[in-house]
Amino acid sequence: MQNIARRELPMVNRRDFVRAAVAIGGGLALAVDLHAQEGGPLPPRPAGLPKPPSAFVQIGDDDMITIVTPAVEMGQGGHTSMPMIIMEELGGDWQRLRVQDAPAAAVYNNPMFGQQSTVGSFSVRGWYAELRRIGAAAREMLVQTAAMQWGVPVSECSAAHSSITHRPSGRSLSFGSLAARAAQLPVPQQPALKPTDNFSLIGTSPKRVDIEDKVDGSARYGIDVRLPDMLYGAIKACPTLRGKLRSFDDSAAKQVAGYHATVALSDAVIVVAHSYWQARKALDKVKVDYDLGALATLDSAQVSQLLRAGIAEPGAVARHEGDVPTALAGATTMLEAVYEVPYLAHACMEPMNCTARVDEQGCEIWCGTQAPQAVQHAAADALGIAADRVQVHTLYLGGGFGRRGEADYAAQAATAAKAAGRPVKLIWSREEDIQHDFYRPAVAIRFRGGVDSSGQLVALDCSVATSSTPEFAARGGPAFYTGGVADTTYAIPNFRVTGVNKDIGVRFGFWRSVSDSHNPFMLEGFIDEVAHHTKQDPYRFRRSMLQSENGRRQLAVLDLIAQKAGWDRPAPGHFFGISAFQSFGSVIGTVAEVSVKDKVVTLHRVVTAIDCGTAIHLDNIRAQLEGGMVYGLSAALRGEITLEHGAVRQGNFNDYPVLMLAQMPRVDCFVVPSSAPPGGVGEPGTAPIAPALCNAIFAATGTRVRSLPLSQQGFSFAVKRI
Amino acid sequence: MVTLTINGTEYSIDADADTPLLWVLRDEVGLTGTKFGCGMGLCGACSVLLEGEITRSCVLPLSSVAGKSIVTIEGLSKDKSHPVQRAWIEESVPQCGYCQSGMILAAVALLHRTPHPTDADVDASMTNICRCGTYNRVRKAIHRAAAASAEGAPKDLEQRGRAGIG
Repeated sequence: MQNIARRELPMVNRRDFVRAAVAIGGGLALAVDLHAQEGGPLPPRPAGLPKPPSAFVQIGDDDMITIVTPAVEMGQGGHTSMPMIIMEELGGDWQRLRVQDAPAAAVYNNPMFGQQSTVGSFSVRGWYAELRRIGAAAREMLVQTAAMQWGVPVSECSAAHSSITHRPSGRSLSFGSLAARAAQLPVPQQPALKPTDNFSLIGTSPKRVDIEDKVDGSARYGIDVRLPDMLYGAIKACPTLRGKLRSFDDSAAKQVAGYHATVALSDAVIVVAHSYWQARKALDKVKVDYDLGALATLDSAQVSQLLRAGIAEPGAVARHEGDVPTALAGATTMLEAVYEVPYLAHACMEPMNCTARVDEQGCEIWCGTQAPQAVQHAAADALGIAADRVQVHTLYLGGGFGRRGEADYAAQAATAAKAAGRPVKLIWSREEDIQHDFYRPAVAIRFRGGVDSSGQLVALDCSVATSSTPEFAARGGPAFYTGGVADTTYAIPNFRVTGVNKDIGVRFGFWRSVSDSHNPFMLEGFIDEVAHHTKQDPYRFRRSMLQSENGRRQLAVLDLIAQKAGWDRPAPGHFFGISAFQSFGSVIGTVAEVSVKDKVVTLHRVVTAIDCGTAIHLDNIRAQLEGGMVYGLSAALRGEITLEHGAVRQGNFNDYPVLMLAQMPRVDCFVVPSSAPPGGVGEPGTAPIAPALCNAIFAATGTRVRSLPLSQQGFSFAVKRI
Repeated sequence: MVTLTINGTEYSIDADADTPLLWVLRDEVGLTGTKFGCGMGLCGACSVLLEGEITRSCVLPLSSVAGKSIVTIEGLSKDKSHPVQRAWIEESVPQCGYCQSGMILAAVALLHRTPHPTDADVDASMTNICRCGTYNRVRKAIHRAAAASAEGAPKDLEQRGRAGIG
């Protein structure tokens, strides 16, 4: 199905955009103005009230259903799963669906955490109840309209395939013929939801709405926007992290054909020109003097030293059950180990970019973003104008992975557009993208475990040290960077997690699966060490700690992956590693099957299972498990960002290598059937591959990997699919 | 001025001679289906068919393609009907989709050279980077397209090859 608004976006001005949207919305459009920037801010919405259907669903007299999705599309299926939830309740025909990205507006704040961000695997689980209500409310209004027209009881009418049918007589009316009149009715505040047993769309795998656009070049990403009168910007920032611009000499740059302007930011230089290539060439000729800043002597060895010092410090207590020091002292067997992981870059396929147009009325921004309001505020702050004067157009994201939750490039583009006096499309080079990322932090954990004479893990002490953490303060509860270890479901009678933030000054980044990208690797590695050290099977050892109600779902996933892998019967020369834990409201588990010869690892097969509660789009979940696994495997094998003289050493795919098709194992994905509320799906898949793989490598070799990437531990990688 | 043929249409391009073909396609001609990923020919997002051969356009200066014939993702079909496009849709290959223009053209080139590729052929030829991890579906879709073409239109691929459009 075509997303017509998306096709029109790149070449229209703001007024045309509003007119087109109103035309699409002719029909069931209830009072609320979607494009509030034209007339002023939306009235503040009291917290807790249901959101108005009109902001999410518009039904035209042509029977097309336009759904405004509060989740962006970065490949994780946001443009498909959100509409599926609404359409299930609405009874709309999937073939009549059009999808639009939401503008920056408070009505699209995720009910679970109050922000308009597609992050944290929060979209389905945060919006599920609300979108069902919205679909059901619209359905009831359509049913009521039809029932009134026929003079029949509402209870005798049903909605399906974009029609209301009067069951006893078989009469039917299309949604399109009813929508305008239905819009006059009051919105039901507590509509009846469909019994989940009657779901006909949720749990299936309809064709994703963006697939066709993505096979013929017609899908528009932020980098593809084209505006009349547009110029192009190329940027280079101070190579040392947190360094500043002191002065620059652009006399040679001005001689380059197509040069338009030089724009100085506090930490970077932008050259604006008539084409991107000319902007790049001119930028290369700008001589810049930097104040290299406080991090100019930082290198990765120092980062590691700081973390190793941090794990020995007392730290803030994230969790303490029982009495760890006493239990450790009294344990029959004590083990200690230190794990460490490096910084990681996101390396989205589409380098960072943003297009801005600034005039007396305000600013328009076009980009792929996970957080339209963050973009709105960043541009507004950069321009010194009110946020409601900034309109944000969200396009497809060529990868998000958490990087596009930041809005740094929006402030840059807005500044450049204002200085240039014309719209500017700012494009980062791949080198800028890798060297000025918001990094997954380097983290270390020291584990001390105590085992009693029966082989039970009776005490576990985890000292976490991180090199960075997000700026927002934790709203009570354990420190952010202890997630994935402090919240373990393993029953360990004496369990303590403490944390220290060494705050080295390197920008923190949300990287796909966030703290679950490192802490479960380390915890699951140590749990595996305890099992092997005490001569217990790693799968059964984990089982023994999941015997309470709290561990029931995780036990089920653990059992499923062990069974599917054939845990007790590996092929000759093959070895298994296992890992399972809760992640983003779901439970995920992975078994890796390897053989190893002379430190060359062959990863034959990966078995992954998720219990994510109610599954929305089944095939998409499998795709997220597999794709998420690839993201994590890539990092585990060769991913590291290192610092030299305060600058990131890596710059492109030659020195930040990522997984290639020829390295893919066979992957088998399983989704546990469940009618529980939905859990997260976009990120959990990334987390368990590193521990499962390293646990398998230990089983095969007796060598315990406590530090990533594997390439730095002397391992190389071959792949053979079975 | 450099003249070249893109998707069967002749263009006269007025741009710096050292402009990579990628930016000519995107900024001068307005064909944005070919993508920028790395600028060093490492990722394949910029792949086009140059005289029928898969080529990375981000490192190909305009001056070197004068008089040549290029096919971009937009030129594969008017209506997503190319067997590789159909297979991509049926297997639901794309996730974010940004790498897929290059990936699809690489698959088209592979199938033109090797109508029934083995997994080893696929491994050797498909070196485009995908950060979303769609690789196993790419492989499956290539085999699907190969099977469909075996049944359907092997001549179609051959004719496209002779015309320099893979």
